[in-house]
Amino acid sequence: MRVVGKRVRRLDAEDKVTGRMIYPSDRVIDGMLWVEVVRAAHPHARIKSVDTAEAETVEGVVRVLTARDVPGLNAFGIQIQDMPVLCHDRVRYMGDAVALVGAETRAAALRAAALVRVDYEVLEPLTDPEKAMLPGAVALHPNGNILHQGHFTKGDVELGFKKSSVVVEGFYQVPMMDHAFLETEAGVSYYGEDGLLTVESCGQYVFRDQTQIARSLGLELDLVRVTAPYVGGAFGGKDEVTVQIHLALMTYHTRRPAKMVASREESIVAHTKRHPARMWYKTGVSKSGKLLAVQARFVADTGAYASLGGPVLNLMMEHAAGPYLVPNFKVDAYAVYTNNGFSGAFRGFGCTQACVAIESQMDRMAHKLGRDPLAFRQANVLHQGDLAALGYEMKLKVGAEATVKSARRGKLWKSRRRLVKDTSRHSPSLASYIKRGVGVATQMQGVGLGIGIPDYAEVELRLDRDGRLVVFAGTNEFGQGAYTAYAQMAAERLGVPMDKLAVVGADTAVTPDSGTTTASRTTYAVGNAILMAADKLEAMKAEASEPGDLTARATFHVPTHDVELGEGLPHLLYSYGTHVVLAEVNTLTGEITVEAVEAYLDGGRVIFRTGFEGQSEGGIAQGIGYALFEDVIIEKGFFKNTNFNTYILPSSLDVPADIRTVPVQVLEASGPYGAKGISETCMVGVTPAILNALQDAIGVRFTRLPVKAEDVLVALEEGRHED
Amino acid sequence: MKIDLRLTINGRGARFEVDPDERLVDTLREKAGLTGTKKGCGIGECGACSLMLNGKLVPSCLVLAASADGAEIVTVEGLASGDGLSDLQQAFVDEGAIQCGFCTPGMLLAGEYLLSRYQRPTSDQIREGISGNLCRCTGYTKIVSAIRKTARRRAIRRSGR
Repeated sequence: MRVVGKRVRRLDAEDKVTGRMIYPSDRVIDGMLWVEVVRAAHPHARIKSVDTAEAETVEGVVRVLTARDVPGLNAFGIQIQDMPVLCHDRVRYMGDAVALVGAETRAAALRAAALVRVDYEVLEPLTDPEKAMLPGAVALHPNGNILHQGHFTKGDVELGFKKSSVVVEGFYQVPMMDHAFLETEAGVSYYGEDGLLTVESCGQYVFRDQTQIARSLGLELDLVRVTAPYVGGAFGGKDEVTVQIHLALMTYHTRRPAKMVASREESIVAHTKRHPARMWYKTGVSKSGKLLAVQARFVADTGAYASLGGPVLNLMMEHAAGPYLVPNFKVDAYAVYTNNGFSGAFRGFGCTQACVAIESQMDRMAHKLGRDPLAFRQANVLHQGDLAALGYEMKLKVGAEATVKSARRGKLWKSRRRLVKDTSRHSPSLASYIKRGVGVATQMQGVGLGIGIPDYAEVELRLDRDGRLVVFAGTNEFGQGAYTAYAQMAAERLGVPMDKLAVVGADTAVTPDSGTTTASRTTYAVGNAILMAADKLEAMKAEASEPGDLTARATFHVPTHDVELGEGLPHLLYSYGTHVVLAEVNTLTGEITVEAVEAYLDGGRVIFRTGFEGQSEGGIAQGIGYALFEDVIIEKGFFKNTNFNTYILPSSLDVPADIRTVPVQVLEASGPYGAKGISETCMVGVTPAILNALQDAIGVRFTRLPVKAEDVLVALEEGRHED
Repeated sequence: MKIDLRLTINGRGARFEVDPDERLVDTLREKAGLTGTKKGCGIGECGACSLMLNGKLVPSCLVLAASADGAEIVTVEGLASGDGLSDLQQAFVDEGAIQCGFCTPGMLLAGEYLLSRYQRPTSDQIREGISGNLCRCTGYTKIVSAIRKTARRRAIRRSGR
């Protein structure tokens, strides 16, 4: 192939290295107001009154808005609209918005925001999801505190355990994780010359943002325009509405342009997070190494509002047994409302949590059986035609085994016995305190939204008489490189050179609805639509008597499974991956270093090679963060670490120089050129592979993230070695 | 009270009236219209607002604008030479060292600063040199590689080969 699979230049690269790229936080409009949000002062309280009189006297303040100024539905949420735009009777977490201030300067807006007097009756916060789910707990929402639960059984786990020669039980705790996109939530709003109430804001799906804005403002959908293709990072954290409705509301009431940019502190408090989860596992395996039973119980803290908590829990259940064939399976799972922030979508979307637990269990079983952990995984992976844990058939090609096989042939795995002994970079006096280990993890990840959720992509291609091609696609570009992949696929199909290609993205007034920019779906779904539209263009070209401008549109519907088990449950299509990690522990200081990572990823055909590697390398950094650093600490509902001095992200010193990403291209017949997607798979397995490497290094099984130096020292002190 | 501030930004003189508590990053973004310098944390932890102030790399969110009076400042907008990209910018493009791009301006400045200190930096020196600049997308691999390749090319140019 000419363009597909090549290391082409990113379409947006030049604008990004020169500083010319305009992000939502960079937009400036003449006469714009700065908008600041008055957020809750308590994690759980009844609002007795809101007094804006003093705030309104601040010089430069133009308008202060409260709940009564919301003309439409004072609630939003992707799935269930249970989150107030502006709270009127109760606040449920520290990020809840109570009032908005619009002022001529940011300083005036901040001053006035501090003067909005809210009289609260403080309530006891619900901070423990296991207590919040009990009958009799104070209900945060009308239907009680269990947002969603799921119970699935296949076969008979008790019988499975009885037949097993090794049964392993484990309890795992994973923390709340912040997306820490580098650009905080931001945007501008204004009435355009076309009369549309226009919001240029960060987001992951402009068409759904448009719906949510229009619904809360009581406006017809077509009076609202949402755009902003280029966003400074998202990772799921900008999937739910952030600034959009607030901006629109201020412009609606003042008829003036408005701008919002969250401070980092506000960002960490306000937007959705990765669900903290407690996971109980019991797994059994036969003497010959066949997985016989997996039982899991999940309690996920969904925080104050629903957002995507239900679907996240569904994916946690769907991926509870990893990519393995297991005849006996049982899962019971709960997503529970609390006053601990607010959970939602984040790269991996429930798989991330489950993978930490099942991949630790797999390692423990292999260890007890004395089996090679990769061989053990290979002996148990799902194949096409097998029944997955939840009982549905794996109908498409399964790449799990191919990734395991590639990993077994890789440098890290083959040289592991030598590598774990190699402490030569340390001084001889230190070397005896250095322990090294190699760990692995294998995983699968649903691609697309799953059954029951509309999942389609419409695109438009315009080819002008000079051979220039423009792809109109409604998704966002927040780093993943999808626009470049779109261009490559269009270029490949139509024979147009890359320098004659442009992509116009995410604008409800200009681009078709290509669906959400989530769920590892855009290369697959939008790519397919591009190929369909390209074929139409070719046919039109053949029919045209003279050269002219041609336009073609096409819509691709992501195929779904014929079994429906819940919202988004299950998927038909999965990506797969195996990660191998070399980690080092300094047993004197407890310091952990990730020395090398190999990623064997099956996302089908690789379209944009540089982007594929870049996603993998970034996913590895995030996996390291989840394993070793990141933890949003909330005490009694109050956030304790709200900026990067206390919420620690991996820096260039924490990510190894030795990273190798190997595409394992199991071509997917339904994918464009055989592509699927890897933007989540590339992160999910990294964390458990690190845990398994730590076990290999010092014989300690860590079951609670993040693993810090002090945890290492305490474990070594206590002699907490796994048998 | 407003304070009169004179700066040389990317080789050009500029004058601003600033508040005593105004930070340099805000002067540049909001008064000079130079939005290439980003704001990611406001407390000097993320490096998105990095720029060169009198030849030193600083997080401009921690610099009071008034304290920079008379300073020479280089921002990302000043890196390109004429119409073309600088060699480091070109290396970022070629290596694919960019994803969302929000850290990119600060990374480029950090890269330039470390290349001004080390003619042939080791990988460890490069990692150290950009460790004040957070990137959430790339895992740093391709950024390090872009800086290393630029260093090598500059060394070859210097040696006249």
